[in-house]
Amino acid sequence: MPRPAPERPRRSSLTPFYAILGVVLLVGIGFLVTQATRKKNAGANAPPQAALTLTPEQLQRVKGISRGRDDAPITIYEFADFQCPHCAQYAALLEPVILERLVDTGKARYVFYEFPLGFKWSWLAARAGRCANEQGKFWDFHTLLFARQGEWAFDTDPLTRWRPLAEQAGMDGKKFEECVRSDRYLKDVTESQQLGNSLGVGGTPTLFVNGRKLDSPAITSYAAFEAEVRRIAPSAFGDSPAPAAAPAGPTAPIGQTPAPGTTAP
Amino acid sequence: MSGAQAELDGSHGAYEHPAAPPLARMAIAVLALIGLLVASYLSLYKLGIIGGLTCTVGSCEQVQASPWAVLLGIPVSLWGAGAYVTLLAVAILGLQPRFVNARWVALALFGLSAVGVAFSGYLTYIEAVVIEMWCQWCVTSAVIITLIFLLSIPGLRRAR
Repeated sequence: MPRPAPERPRRSSLTPFYAILGVVLLVGIGFLVTQATRKKNAGANAPPQAALTLTPEQLQRVKGISRGRDDAPITIYEFADFQCPHCAQYAALLEPVILERLVDTGKARYVFYEFPLGFKWSWLAARAGRCANEQGKFWDFHTLLFARQGEWAFDTDPLTRWRPLAEQAGMDGKKFEECVRSDRYLKDVTESQQLGNSLGVGGTPTLFVNGRKLDSPAITSYAAFEAEVRRIAPSAFGDSPAPAAAPAGPTAPIGQTPAPGTTAP
Repeated sequence: MSGAQAELDGSHGAYEHPAAPPLARMAIAVLALIGLLVASYLSLYKLGIIGGLTCTVGSCEQVQASPWAVLLGIPVSLWGAGAYVTLLAVAILGLQPRFVNARWVALALFGLSAVGVAFSGYLTYIEAVVIEMWCQWCVTSAVIITLIFLLSIPGLRRAR
């Protein structure tokens, strides 16, 4: 009688496969968790703000586009890109409130600097903004440009979209178009971007108040923004200065006097 | 000859030899899992859970901010995550002895990955021609879905 064949130990041939799948899953989850926590801790590990203050020499080099009283006690500097979606959100939600409550009331002067990030039309839009400034319509045009960003951002010829906006803002459309088609403001925009780079502007919008760079949470709401501005320049609101023990940071080097290099439309 | 003997000597008598799990399908499952993790990363960013994208090559956040990053009101990355979950589930199911030779498994892997390749091709074209910016994670996903598609082809022959 033949002896029955010995039974081989049964082991799923899929075990190594499941092990590989498990390792990939663990590594992936680890990466996702690291990414989530890294971004949360980024603010806590940020370098001290004193390292990011503007100096008068830096501002004298580059002309920004200014709005408000030259002798206002607060100076707000914005570095922005017309094609950046976050800038469009900021321009639609927070900037109008800042302009209404701080700039139009004489408490602050607002200076806009271009910081083209490298979107398809970042540079051309920045130059178009300068062309609008040439006709004294920068602020109206800048509002329209941000509001209609979704319409022109991926157009093959954005100028056909911008000219009607320029005319809507009260500009001479022909002059505007000629200006945008020229290289007239390439140097100004380049210098503006270089200034941003030298100040450590990495993303947009980036705001400085009296030379002090604001963290992202300070521009999430007007309440947060004003709280930060009050902390930096309490006297502008009639507040008494923060006590020495408070984490007020170093005194900003500029802001009490207008930057001589800025232009007013 | 007993079934056990047939299994030992590799011959095929009356005993039905269980099909070995195809390596290509294992590779599909691993790739689908990697694709799922990539799509989840982009989805977490798009949903605002992760504040920024690590992007050593290209301009990931700019590409993610474009109108082509959303389809029918849902982030494209979330559609991708759904597709990769389905591919992963079908591939794992297709490795079980009962389904190794199932025709529907081979067809599902081929069909789903073919749609994925076509859509990824369209998105890659948009990156190259319209936005003129690249997102390294989107390109990674395009490569993964293309590999899955290629690996799904031998399964079609097996299932015939």
